[in-house]
Formats: sequence, C-alpha cells, structure tokens
Amino acid sequence: MEEVPRVPGETVKAVAKDVMYLCPFTGAVSGTLTVTDYKLYFKSLERDPPFVLDVNLGVISRVETISMQIGENNRGIEIVCKDMRNPRFAYKEEQSKLEIFETLTKHAFPLSNNLPLFAFLYKETFPEDGWKVYDPVAEYKRQGLPNESWTISKINSNFEVCDTYPAMLVVPTSIKDEELRKVASFRAKHRIPVLSWIHPESQATIVRCSQPLVGPSDRRCKEDERYLQTILDANAQSHKLTIFDARQSSVADTNKAKDGGYESESFYPNVELNFLEIPNIHVMRESLRKLREVVYPSIDEAHWLSGVDSTHWLEYIRLLLAGAVRVADKLECGKTSVVVHCSDGWDRTAQLTSLAMLMLDSYYRTLRGFQVLLEKEWISFGHRFAARLGHGDENHANSERSPLFVQFVDCVWQMTRQFPSAFEFNELFLITILDHLYSCLFGTFLYNSEQEREVHSKTVSLWSYVNNHTEDFTNPFYVNYENHVIYPVASLRHLELWVSYYVRWNPRMRPQMPVHQNLKELLVLRTELQKKVEELQRDVASSRSVSSSSDHGPSPSHTSTPLYTTV
Amino acid sequence: MFSVKPPKPTFKSYLPPVQTEMKKMPQVNIKKLEARLLPGEIVVSEVNFVRKCIGMGAGRDDLWGKLICTNFKVSFVTHELPGWQKLQYHNRLLGDHDVPLACVEQLVTVNDATGKQKVLLSNRKLKFSPTELVIYCKDFRIHRFRFDESGPESARKVCLAIAHYSQPADPQLLFGFEYAGKQYHGPSDQMSGGDPGSQLQTPLFDCSSDWDREIKRTGASEWRVCSVNEAYTVSPSLPEYFVVPVSLADQDIRQFSCSFAGQRIPLWCWNHPNGSALVRMASIRNVAHQWMLEQRVCSSVTRSHPKRSDVFQSNLDKSLPSIQDVQASLIKLKQICVIAEPYRESEDKWLSSIESSGWLENEDRDLSCVVSSLVQLMLDPHFRTLVGFQSLVQKEWVMAGHRFLDRCNHLRKSSKEESPLFLLFLDCVWQLMNQFPAAFEFTEIYLAVLCDSMWIPVFSTFLFNCPQQRAEHSQDFARNRNLFMGEEKMLRFPPVWDWSQQFSLRDQALFNNPIYVGKSAAPRVQNGAVKTFKRTKKSYSSTLRGMPSMQNSTGRYGSLPRHNSLVLRFRPESPVQHKAPENALDHFIKDWLSRPADPHGLLLPHLLPSHLQLWRLYFLRWVPELQIPQGGPVTTFYKLSLLADEIEELQIKLRQYSGSPTSGHTPNRPTLSSQQQRMYFRAARPSCNPQQPEYLSSAFPFSPVGNLSHPGALGTPLRKFLSGAKLWLSSEPLVSQTP
Repeated sequence: MEEVPRVPGETVKAVAKDVMYLCPFTGAVSGTLTVTDYKLYFKSLERDPPFVLDVNLGVISRVETISMQIGENNRGIEIVCKDMRNPRFAYKEEQSKLEIFETLTKHAFPLSNNLPLFAFLYKETFPEDGWKVYDPVAEYKRQGLPNESWTISKINSNFEVCDTYPAMLVVPTSIKDEELRKVASFRAKHRIPVLSWIHPESQATIVRCSQPLVGPSDRRCKEDERYLQTILDANAQSHKLTIFDARQSSVADTNKAKDGGYESESFYPNVELNFLEIPNIHVMRESLRKLREVVYPSIDEAHWLSGVDSTHWLEYIRLLLAGAVRVADKLECGKTSVVVHCSDGWDRTAQLTSLAMLMLDSYYRTLRGFQVLLEKEWISFGHRFAARLGHGDENHANSERSPLFVQFVDCVWQMTRQFPSAFEFNELFLITILDHLYSCLFGTFLYNSEQEREVHSKTVSLWSYVNNHTEDFTNPFYVNYENHVIYPVASLRHLELWVSYYVRWNPRMRPQMPVHQNLKELLVLRTELQKKVEELQRDVASSRSVSSSSDHGPSPSHTSTPLYTTV
Repeated sequence: MFSVKPPKPTFKSYLPPVQTEMKKMPQVNIKKLEARLLPGEIVVSEVNFVRKCIGMGAGRDDLWGKLICTNFKVSFVTHELPGWQKLQYHNRLLGDHDVPLACVEQLVTVNDATGKQKVLLSNRKLKFSPTELVIYCKDFRIHRFRFDESGPESARKVCLAIAHYSQPADPQLLFGFEYAGKQYHGPSDQMSGGDPGSQLQTPLFDCSSDWDREIKRTGASEWRVCSVNEAYTVSPSLPEYFVVPVSLADQDIRQFSCSFAGQRIPLWCWNHPNGSALVRMASIRNVAHQWMLEQRVCSSVTRSHPKRSDVFQSNLDKSLPSIQDVQASLIKLKQICVIAEPYRESEDKWLSSIESSGWLENEDRDLSCVVSSLVQLMLDPHFRTLVGFQSLVQKEWVMAGHRFLDRCNHLRKSSKEESPLFLLFLDCVWQLMNQFPAAFEFTEIYLAVLCDSMWIPVFSTFLFNCPQQRAEHSQDFARNRNLFMGEEKMLRFPPVWDWSQQFSLRDQALFNNPIYVGKSAAPRVQNGAVKTFKRTKKSYSSTLRGMPSMQNSTGRYGSLPRHNSLVLRFRPESPVQHKAPENALDHFIKDWLSRPADPHGLLLPHLLPSHLQLWRLYFLRWVPELQIPQGGPVTTFYKLSLLADEIEELQIKLRQYSGSPTSGHTPNRPTLSSQQQRMYFRAARPSCNPQQPEYLSSAFPFSPVGNLSHPGALGTPLRKFLSGAKLWLSSEPLVSQTP
C-alpha cells in the first residue's frame, strides 16, 4: 500500500478505502482517505493523473454529518474549513469508515481532546532559526531608539504591568515607573500608550494603547493626561496630538457607559480626537462568512458583483486602508504624533498601526521587514491569535473568533496591487502566511501574547521555512522605493476581491498568464545574451590584443539594471 | 441621464464652491499668448484672463491664461508650467489643455452672483454674463474655466461660440474637411505634423490588392475579390471591393443583394487555417425569399469549405444587447464610475459557440463589427500585432461601414443613434489583454489613445458612416471650394493609423508592449512577402465530432497551430438543442483553461465576472483623487520596458559582433535604427542609477501627477477626500432631475 507523503514527525492515524469525495467542481470520485495527526489526505486513482485532496487539520473549523444517499454510500460528512472551502465526503456505514471520521474529529481538535497541537510534534529542521528574525532592541535601534525623548523600558520584563504586552516597551524618557503604573491602571487591560514607530526626520510617532477607563462619571487620570502631553512634547514640529479611535463613535459611547471610553478633548487640551468608524470583530466575522457563501462552491455569475458587494468585505477593507492612510498622512505631512487605540488595542489597533507603518517605512515592505512587522505589531503586542482563530478547539461558534489578521493581509495585498513594484515579497508569500495561520505546523501564530508564547524551543518558526525559500516569495518587479511613502487610494474604484486567495479552490478562477512569468523569461533571456556578448567580447579582445589596441566601450555587464531577482 | 433626453436647464453644481483664497493672477502678459493653429484652422472668439481650475487644490494649482474657440477646438493657452503639472506626452494636433469641439458633450454656464445656470445649446441665447464655464467631454473629462477677471462680454461670446461650433449642422463643417482641403491649395503646403518618410504599413482595404493579400495570408483559396460594387452601384454602405465565394458569380451578387437590408450581401471576414470561414451579413428583408436565399448563399459558402461543412449561423440580435442598451450602460458607468459594468459582461457569452463558417446576422453594421473582430483577435495572432490590429479595425469597422459619424454623434442630430460600440470593442480587447498580457504587440495606452482619436475629427477612420459617404462628401466639398483633386476620388483625410500626425516617434513608443515577442509560427507579412498558414494534414483529417479523447489531445498540443485544429473538431452541430455536445464543449473549455495559455495560439478568455475588470486607465484617468502616485500597472510596465530595452541593446551588440543580421532568440523583433527605439523607457546607461521616474502614476501618461503629490499639497486634498468631503467625480450626473 502506497504511503502518503508526510512531513517529519507526522504519523498516520487511520486509513479507509472506498470513500467518496464529492468534488463540487469535477464531480464525485472514490478513493482512499488517510488521516494523520497533521492532515487528511484523499487520493483517487480513478482519474489520470490521480486526484488528490490534501487538507491540513488545523484549517478545520467544524465537522458535520449530513444526510446522503449515493448508491451504497448512505452516510455523509461535511468539513467546514477556515480557508473558505467545505469538502464533503460520502461513505458506506461500516466500522472502518465510522472510525476514521472519529479519528479525524479527534485530531482536528487536539486541544478539545487533550492532545498537543501538531506544531509540537513537527520535527523539520531549517538552516536559519526564524525565531531570531525579530530582535526588539535591533528593531528599535534601526528606528533610532532610544533617543533623548524615548527610552526602552524594562518595567514589563516580567509581564507584571501588562500581561498582554511584550517585555520590552518604548516609553517617554521623562516618565517614571510609578507614573507608568498609574497610567496602566487607567487603561483597559493595562495596555499603556507605547511607541510603535518614530518618523526619522520629524520625530513624530505612532503610539498605540487601549481605551482609557473613563466610565460614565468621566473619571480623570492626571498621569495619563501628562503622559500624552509628554508624547506631544517629544515632537517639536507640532503643537497637537491626534488620537485615532478606530471604533464607531456610537460604540465608543456604549463603552463609556461600561467603564471604558475615550479621551475628552477638554481634559487633554492639545489633543484632537477622531473616530475611524470601523465596526468590531463580530461584524468582520459575519462579513467573511457571507463572502464564503458568495465564492464557494459555485459562484453566481449574473450577480457576482452585487454578491460581493452585499458582504461589505471590500467596504471594510476600504475603511481600514482609509484609516491607515489618515494615520500615515498625519505623520508624514502633518508632522504630528498619533495615538491609535480601539477598545483593547489588540485588533483594529494592530491593523491600523501596521498598515500605516507599511506605508511610511519601506523596510517593512521587504521580505524580512514584513516578518519583523508581524512579529512586532501583531505577535509581541498580543493580538489574540489563539482566541481569534480557535486553534485545535472544537467550539466553532465561539464569539471570540474573527478573521482580523486575514483582513489585514488582504489590505496588504490591495496595496501590492496598487504598487506592484514597491514590495519585495509576492502574493504567494501572503497566501503562505495565511495558510500557516491555520495549519498549526509552525509556532508563530499559536498564542495570544508574548508571555503565553514560550514556544520558541519547542516549535519551528514559520520564518525558518520562509527564509529557506526566499526565491519563491520574491517579487521580481521589486524596486526599492527607499524613503518613499506610499499612499494607496482607499476607494472602492481601486479595490478588488482577492480572487486568487478567496476563490482559489475553484479551478476555473485561475489566471491564465501571470505577468511575472514574462518578467522571469526576460531575465533568463537577458542573462543568456549577456553571456554570449561577453564571450564574443573576450574573443574580440583576444584577437585584438594580437593586432591592435581595443577601442571598445565598457563591458555590457555594467549596463544591466539591478533587478532583485535571482534567476 | 443626459444625452438620451434633451437636457433640462436645471443644472445643479456638484462642484465644490470655489475657494476665496484664490491664486493671484500672475503679472504676465496673457494678451500676448496665442493659440497654435493647424492648417485650415481659424480663431472664432477669445477671452483673456481666464482661470482654469485644476483638481480640488483650493485654487492653488489653477492656471491663468487665454481661452480661445476655433473651428476645431477649445484651446486654453497658458505660460510654462511647473514640472508636476506637465504632461509626459504631447499630441501634435492639440495642446495639453485643448479640447476638440467634437469631444464636447455638454456645456454649462454659471453665474455666481445670480445663481443662474444654463446648459448651452447651439443658437440659443445666453442672457447673463457667465462667471464660469464647465465643459463635460465625451472622454469623461471635465474642464472648468472661471471668468472672474475677464471681460464679461467676451466671456459670453466665447461660450456661445463654443456652443455653436461644437454642434455643426453638416458633416462638411467638421474640421477635417478644412484640414484635408488645405493641402490642395498650394504645391508645398504640407499638413502639420507627420514625420517625413513615415510610411503607412496598415492596409486600408480600399483596393482589391489589400483583399488579395488577406486571402493569401489566410489561405482562403475558395474565395475571391469581387469588384461588382465599384462606384457603389450595388450597395452604398459596402466597400467597393469585398470577398465572396468563388462559386458566386457577379451576376448572382447583383441579384441577391436587393433582398438584404442595405443591399449588404454576406461579406467574407476571415479564414481559419482549417478552411472554415467567418462571414457576416445583414438580415434578410424579404421574408418570402429567405429560404431560397439561405439555400443559395449558404450552399456557396459551404462549397468554399474544404470539407463542405455546413454553415453555422448565429443571430446576434437575439444574443446580444441592443446598441441602445450599450449606450444606456455607458451613461450609467459615466455617472457612477463604480465597479459594476453590466454591459461588458453580457458581451462575450456567445463566444464558445463560434465555429466553422459562422454566420452573423443583424443590421451588420454595429454588433457584427464587435463580434467578428473579436473572433479574429482570439483566433489569429496576426491581428494582435499593431499593424494587424489596425488592419482588422480597417477591415471590420471602417470598410464594413460602421456608422462612426452617427455612433459618435458628431453632428448632434440624434442621441438615439449614439452608441459607444467602438469603445465597447476596445474595452473587450483590453479585457483580453488583461488576461493575456504577452499576447498583444500593443499596450492599453494605445487602446486609450485610439479611442480618444475618435473625438479628433480629422481622420478618415472615424469621420464617416461608410466609404461611399466619404467619397460623396469629398466630391461635394471639392466642388464647392473649387479644389482640384485630379485623379483622386476622395480628399486625403489622414487615417488615424498615421500616428505621426498625432505623436512623435518617442511618444509612439508608449504603444509597444515590452513583453510581446513575435513568433515565427504566426503568419505575418514580412518584407512584403506573404506567408500563409500551414495547412496541416491534421486539421483536414479532424472530422471527429463531439468530445476529443483526452489521450489524443495531449499529443496534439505539441506544436503550432495545434489550437486551431482542435476548434474544428469541436464544431457543435447545434450546441443549444443537444445536451451532450454542450457538455463536451464545457469539458473542452475546462480542459483548455487548465493548460498554460499560448500567446500565439487561440485565446479563450475567462468570462467569469471575477475575471472581467474595470478598465481603470481609461475610465479613471482624469480624476486626480483616484490617481495612485508612484503606483499602478505602469510601474510594472516601466520595469519590463527597461529589461526589454536592455535585451534589445544586447541583441544589437551581438549582431555587431557576430556580423549576422539575425539572432536566434527573437527572430521577429524588428531591427530599429537608433533614433527609433522600441521602448519608451530606456535602460540606464552605465554609471546611471535607475530610479523610477517621479511622474509615474496610475493615470500615466494622460494626467500629470498634478496637485496630489507635489510637495506640500498632498495633505489638503487627501484629507478632505478622506474625511468625507463629497468626492467630486467626473461621473456625477450632469443634470439633476429636481422634483
């Protein structure tokens, strides 16, 4: 019996023959289903070449039995996945089949069954250790920190001040630890305002935090007020500080009634407060759920655009991008420091700060810089990956789940569409990140915070894998925009549905001739020609050196445009 | 909706109110500025101290100058501009701020003080002195001029002159006649523009030899050129020369022609290498003769097929939207300019059933043009070269009698006749190009420029409804003006294909697609010699009907022109009635799309709505707020151009070294002299740092980067835009129907 391909550390848990996969695109096909502790693998020899379906278990959201009657097959199962597909199987009611789907359910939700996530069993080794990609001290140093106004504080080194923040925080130099603790008690989940990014010229900063605990009685906190004034003072170019509250203003008011709230402009004299009116995680989850219905399994061609429209997915993408453009524009053109928060400061705040940083700082648009950006703004600052994705947990209806990170990556993809040569990485890189967001193969996206994430020694980092395959993930069109700030146009006229991600399971949706293929062909051709010319030049030069002196121009190898592709 | 109903004078301005902090008028002598005039062009009226509003920059970027109305254009002349407001390419017939009168869609005059607004029509009165003139253009552009500092009377006169001259009553008042007539006045009088020695390579199909060459090129040996319509004695809307089955005698044609609408007997368009022909015809007027005619005509078409295959007819009236639908759809698009574009999606559905000797019926002068030219673009790589594409438009549109004059509505006679079919066609070509970026020799900039040329009324290509009309008006005009045309039957209007009329050689390089590489297997005319398709035995022997066996097909994908032969085997006898062949067709398409596409083979586009996109360059290029500075597809075009240029340099070097004129890699890349480089963007010379030019944006080359990205200006309009200020789009409804 032929073995299924396995990654190191993966073991086969169950095999069943004569299972029918109901492919929505090519019709039903019978074959052998294998379940390992990492994936389900279905192979049919009925077709030539053999038909294969390979779904990692981490992506499974729920498994449901469905009523079915196709010939002998009287049982059916539907596997709802987080990546927009729902494979269905039919089988005959037999012991071996019942067992395999039981095994599948068990390993699809290891945490609900007292099993480890597969990342802890994965045994692959890579030449580079991806856990070392992000070194906070090195990253802050790259930004020119610490400087006279900002310092790297160790106050949270034991996660005592804020258990969802990283150990290392950048705060104003003049603020004492005692004051910081006071500020922490005035901010939701103790997430105090800390620096995310500083403009190299104007010294304007992006600062992130959670909502202030103002409450219905308009509580004040002198330390918090002074703290924001200090952030304002650290930037000599502007006499204002802008706060972007990502929430809808009505929701912020509701929060105020429940002990949360927002900064009152009368207590914070030089502060300008703006609401970005972005709906919450539940709205986003609902939107993506609707999108799934539009794109899978079949699409309604006559109502495609209105179908996509009705999910509001692109509308939310627009809101996020527009918000991030406002943040970036405030810093770049207004030379004004910006504070970003939502309620807890780990969802919309992470989306906005990281998008604005992508626009402002070309380093984050490189393959490695983007990894640093994710490690910093998302992972170390406690985006609740475990809760938002529900790794290994069978409770699919948990209201904590929400596709905010997917939404962020979609925004990045929209930016790469508008600026095809400003990013060093390509679409495959973004899709790979999203695939391993769910796969539980790597330790990168498994936990809620830096404190929870003591997984370095036990799991492999996604970046170990990525940085071992940089060629696959490099955009051949990349030209370094250096210090260019890029402003995407946040208009629906320029946004489009990311078909090659959301609709990729439909074989009819594949693009026919990707343009980067043409570029690669041209690069190969150029290399060949260069070689030929050089050979001929050598020949000519050697024959000339016999007869006369050379009067030829410079070697053609100098004329080549630097292209960041390896061929 | 504006041009469908006569516009009511209830204009409501959607433009933001003009800021009070307006730019001070510069202390320069505007009176000394003069319009650049073409031969035959005269100034009608002019006004000084006019301010042209640019974007939403609160007046900051506005320009001061002189507004002039001539018999050809509305010209705004100004002094030298700062870099960010400069265009990167120039039209030789028009200044950067000029609008041809034929491009004017609607004129609105406004008086701030009284709040009066009026839509100006020809020969109407204007009772107030306008402070502002808004020109809405057919190419989606909007121009705004302020007269705050100008003489009120001359401002009023210019507005009225523009209204009058943009609505000519007679074709001979279109500027092209003056322009073309000028060259008969003096022996040395040359047309402006045009590079000496520029030779037109595009066949115009106005002589029998052009058709002969096309017959040879496609190997249509059972077809002949027929000259029965010389002097338009048979049909006024057909060209003098066209192609018919060998078995059809001139006498038959004369006899049959009366039964077809417009005497338009079936016209041969193209032959597939397997011998199948594409034929277009009008509907049959006399129903009583229908059966007999179909028998006679079809049988002669069948006799011209090597396998005597039956004819497959396709009635476009039933499967496609009407031209009114198309126009209504464009108006909607203009108004909302959003992603929804219904008209484009319904367009291509029929394509999968085009096979064999396709019969395309309808009026035969509108949708037949779109359909037959798209079919040929998909099947024959020759038409995806620049010259090939131009010959296709010439053959299927100009010579086949597409009513450009009526569809463009140059004379403002009837808005019912106006329909953007040619734009629809170009959009379809763009969709193909978008899906097969390496398959076309030309670029989307070329398509946009071609479309814009429709509104410059000097080209023979777009001025008339048919060749006969051109001849008639030429002779009439010459008689009235006492021009001596000698042996010539028509005035020498330049065809649009003489691009040197409009652009320098350097600017024409924007038409060249850097990733297009010609292929020797493709049929093309080289050095005057005609190569034909190879008729392989394979294509003759393929008489199988229905599904191809998959085992066989893998072998057949091996060599060119493999794709074409497959199509023949797939000819469905009646795809709609039987279920089985339809499935086979589905299978074929699925199978087809799963393989890598060959840019020189058959192009089968994805027709899923998700794969049809808005042609953003064309539709969004004038809206400054929608420009992506430093971004857009042009940045990849730039990069590819550098690489292609570098490769060309290397090839030239290689040839110099080896002394041989050909290189093994790209046999069909033309060798160019050093003055005529193929790429607009050149690779950097040694020691030069290749930096992406600052002026690139998603609207390149049509709009300067403008007020959005030059230092200091970025903040204001962008913030205004984002914080919810009403976005002023060129698509705003022009006349609101106030209740």
